[in-house]
Amino acid sequence: MPETAGTGLKLGQKVPDFQIKTYEPTRRDFGTFRLSDQLARKRWTILFFYPADFTFV
Amino acid sequence: MGCDIVTVSTDTEFVHKAWQENEKELAQVRYRMGADPSGKLARLFGIYDEDTGLALRGTFMINPDGILLNAETNYYNLGRNIDELLRKFKANLYMSRKTSEVCPSKWKEEGDKTLAPSAEMVGRVHEALEG
Repeated sequence: MPETAGTGLKLGQKVPDFQIKTYEPTRRDFGTFRLSDQLARKRWTILFFYPADFTFV
Repeated sequence: MGCDIVTVSTDTEFVHKAWQENEKELAQVRYRMGADPSGKLARLFGIYDEDTGLALRGTFMINPDGILLNAETNYYNLGRNIDELLRKFKANLYMSRKTSEVCPSKWKEEGDKTLAPSAEMVGRVHEALEG
């Protein structure tokens, strides 16, 4: 069972920098998302996790 | 609105590409689709299910300073309400500009009633909301 109901982080906490590989439909290509890029561009980020592709939202 | 949405699942970026290109429901998708096959990011946010190797339905809002302001998690079978997520994001955005105001439970968008907490308001929130 998942240990927490989310988050492993606390609200109000600075999220440590992370990066993940992406598929980007606007460029039809792969890329890398980095939180530090978002902060440098002064953008908000919403991370939307879901269980699996090819299943039903 | 100065915000970037990134979806994340434990599928690889190759599966994301295959899904987005094949499923007509996703034809209009413009957001980046993140791949977390090791579960490292899902574990960081506390929503990785060790039994299934999948991420739960968690949504996390991070402001431009990197602070985590919102977290919402649902179990597998309950979809999230996008209107509520948008409402929360708009409220966060509004309050980042108006730092002395807070958004009460009925707040939906800019122009709706907010509260400016003060010592005088203690015990008199009803009057503040109605006035």
